[in-house]
Amino acid sequence: MDFLLNATSAVMATGPLVAMLGATLLGVLIGALPGLNPVMAIALLLPLTYSMDPLVALAMVAGIYNGSMYGGAIPAILLRIPGTPASIATTFDGFPMAEKGEAAKALKIACWSSAVGGIASALALMTVGPLLARATLHFGPAEYFWIAMFGMASVGVMVGSDPVKGVMAAVLGLLLGTVGIDQLSGQARYTFDQPWLLGGLDLVVVLVGLYALPPVLQLAEKCDLKGLSAAQLRLASVPFRKGEVKGLLPTWGRSSLIGIFVGILPGAGGNIAAFLSYNAAKNASSEPESFGKGNPQGVAAAECGNNADNAASMIPALTLGIPGNVVAALVLSALMIHGLQPGPQLFHQNPVLVGGFMIEMLLTSVLILLVGGAAATRIFAQIQRLPGVLLVPSILVLMCVGVYVINGRPVDLWVMLAAGTAGYLLEKLNVPLAPIILGMILGPMAEQSVRRALLISRGDPVELLTRPISAVLAVATVAMILWPVMKAIKRRRAKNMSENNA
Amino acid sequence: MERSQDLALGLLFAGLGLAAAWQAGSYQGAGGTYPMVLGLGLALCGALVMLRAARSKTDAPRRLVDVPANLVKALAAGVIYVALILPLGFYTASALLMLALPPVLGFRRPLYTAVVAASFVALVWIVFSLVLNKPLPAELWAASRLGG
Amino acid sequence: MKINKIIVAAALLGCTSSPALSDYPERPIELTIPAGAGGGTDTSARKLALLLEEKLGTSIAVLNVGGGGGSVGASQFMQAKPDGYALFATWNSPLTTVPQVQNVAYTLDSFTPIASTSETAYTLCVHPEFPAETGEEFLAELAANPDKYTYGNDGIGGTMQLAAERIFQARDIKAVAIPFGGAGETLQNFLGKHVDIYGGSISPVLPYVEEKQAKCLVVTSAADVPALPQAAGLESLGLGDKETLLWRAILGPKGLDQAIVDKLAAVIDEAVNDPSYVEFLASKGEVPNVVKGEALGERLREEFDALAVVSKNLGLAK
Repeated sequence: MDFLLNATSAVMATGPLVAMLGATLLGVLIGALPGLNPVMAIALLLPLTYSMDPLVALAMVAGIYNGSMYGGAIPAILLRIPGTPASIATTFDGFPMAEKGEAAKALKIACWSSAVGGIASALALMTVGPLLARATLHFGPAEYFWIAMFGMASVGVMVGSDPVKGVMAAVLGLLLGTVGIDQLSGQARYTFDQPWLLGGLDLVVVLVGLYALPPVLQLAEKCDLKGLSAAQLRLASVPFRKGEVKGLLPTWGRSSLIGIFVGILPGAGGNIAAFLSYNAAKNASSEPESFGKGNPQGVAAAECGNNADNAASMIPALTLGIPGNVVAALVLSALMIHGLQPGPQLFHQNPVLVGGFMIEMLLTSVLILLVGGAAATRIFAQIQRLPGVLLVPSILVLMCVGVYVINGRPVDLWVMLAAGTAGYLLEKLNVPLAPIILGMILGPMAEQSVRRALLISRGDPVELLTRPISAVLAVATVAMILWPVMKAIKRRRAKNMSENNA
Repeated sequence: MERSQDLALGLLFAGLGLAAAWQAGSYQGAGGTYPMVLGLGLALCGALVMLRAARSKTDAPRRLVDVPANLVKALAAGVIYVALILPLGFYTASALLMLALPPVLGFRRPLYTAVVAASFVALVWIVFSLVLNKPLPAELWAASRLGG
Repeated sequence: MKINKIIVAAALLGCTSSPALSDYPERPIELTIPAGAGGGTDTSARKLALLLEEKLGTSIAVLNVGGGGGSVGASQFMQAKPDGYALFATWNSPLTTVPQVQNVAYTLDSFTPIASTSETAYTLCVHPEFPAETGEEFLAELAANPDKYTYGNDGIGGTMQLAAERIFQARDIKAVAIPFGGAGETLQNFLGKHVDIYGGSISPVLPYVEEKQAKCLVVTSAADVPALPQAAGLESLGLGDKETLLWRAILGPKGLDQAIVDKLAAVIDEAVNDPSYVEFLASKGEVPNVVKGEALGERLREEFDALAVVSKNLGLAK
């Protein structure tokens, strides 16, 4: 643990501290603006970091990464527009809370949950990182297939009142996920000879349309000419009630573990972590029907889960040299530009730098409490004071600029508008939107890994089940599907019994 | 109302699924099987939705659009805006949208609108063009001067 | 003929309407990279862009357009104005490999070659217990056991797969190709022993060679690679003409003014050979390699034709 002391003293210098503070605030802003996301921001800032002290550069990465994962929750709660793909699950209960006049509480819970998840994840990175990284090597294509299936099973909690339409939405998402070049055969699917479709539909473009446009259209329909007054907003800080934190502890613990687990697996991301955490919280709850109607536990689970993914996603990158997501790849490329060779020796090459980055991931998680709370209540809530009719064009402009800068192509704007219009109608027709995105995220992962696994086993499907880890995951998936059913049956029985006794 | 809506929705998805499955028939190997299964699955879901709607006895009213006039205005503004971004340039088109949409929706405070529009467009310009140096569709008036 | 005339006309038009060349560049340049942020091509291009900014005295805005193995970015860039303010930093695959297997909208003629920047070989590595210690033994073991071994690669019809299959076809070897999303994913599956052979760029696997968790027995360059002493270059295996490299280049849209090409090529040459860039390349196992203008076009055409034969033999060609 010597390196931690050395690294701590290196981080506790003016440069890294200022960078962490500034970057966390910037991260919250980036996360909160629909269309902007941490990957883009870090990629944009990367050239600046080439000529910088690496600890300062990494402090910025840590701040933006952690800050933005929380920032995404702000519009998710206030406007039902997820700021990043990882904050979709936050809208489920966050927005209903805001509608009930509990926006301040929801933001506070999101802030604390993000910090807790981030801290737990950073601690995991510091302590058991290398050990966990070795374990992930046992996850081959067959195991990844089951993880994708496990994720798909969580669709059950999103389908709402109409399971058929929920499944239908998920299948649509899976189908949308097949658009583009098929990595395993090289053939183009559903591209209709359009070059821009070869890379598939951009998740963020569809997400911004699907999730941001319907609320904007509804805002226009409401035609609010006045805007909310400060009193109506009720965003003054609400202290936690006695016992409230205690009630959130089990959710935080569960979601942190899920986030860390998803994080260390290369290829799985914060959005999956948030969905799985939300699902777990609902399954564990004694009143699952209150989820989706403004249950604080739902906000806590989603936000804790997506932040717990962050530091953990650095584990395979820093210990094995395998970047599990784009942010990790950017961190590795920053390290390489500073002359370090990623791989198992990275830590021994420069313990102060690598340790310092770990500490920065920890400190920026703590900073969310300081910066996030203030930013959310003071800055962002102010936008709600604008009359709705002015918010409508503002959000439209933001959506377009965010979507345009991803790939620099105008056609993405039309995709966004089309997705948004479809989203508006589907929602009115009681078709949930979250399964569409979930299908788009997990579909390619499931398809590619199952086909890879079959290539390796020379076409024998039995091997999908006989490997020890994949067998466990398969059982867990089935249990995940059956769990809510069993619980419902049990409750119905209990209810019948009490009625009979009465 | 709800019934006919669900009938249409189911029909749409069933059609979409069948079209996808039919298209998947031309793809080779496992790369075609998977979307084919998905397409058929989607068609099945759509058929189920239709079937359920056809058999349902209740037909509760469900409004698709609360205020059609405003929705059409906002959507049209969005479409016109996106269509104008390339020819006019990003900032010109954005400024136009911010100035034009509020009065169309019935907001009668031109000064307030102008101030918000100006400061918001300026903010976007500072963040994207000044700080992040991101290329956005060039302005009409600037393009004629700088374009080669 | 007609097309030629159009090109000439376009070039002339470009000359007359663009301001005097001595002023170039007078505004920011947009650099399209046909890959996501954080990958090998992206890192190399961004580092180079920093040096170019200094030498050209203008800022360079980077645009990442990933997807389709680079074909999405290439198709999008093809439509850029040939005024010298839109450049394309790519690796060879989107130009010479991807068009073999995908129906893409562009050909080599859709671009003006400016200069290549760096190159590196791909390598094939196995686990320490694999029954072979040299490149020759490795190929013999594969040849003796058709379809027994699996090798991970960067995607079906990607340059890495074609580089390997070029060698395999010459030696009548059959191995099962398992496509992954990139070298990192291949490495993970190789280390977890889900595939038998690692196929990919050198830098990710290098630390594992030093730790004796992987032995790299073949590189796809004609010459040996100093960083991998155990690996045989193709020349020593008698396959010198089967060399396939991973290399990077900067191109412009079709019809770019020759004077701008020359100016950019000279500046790129300078930047690539800057000691800081050479050192950066070395840390990634790459070496500078600047081929300019028409010579670069020739290199692209040769590689395109050679890979067309390989993909046809593999049954991959569209």
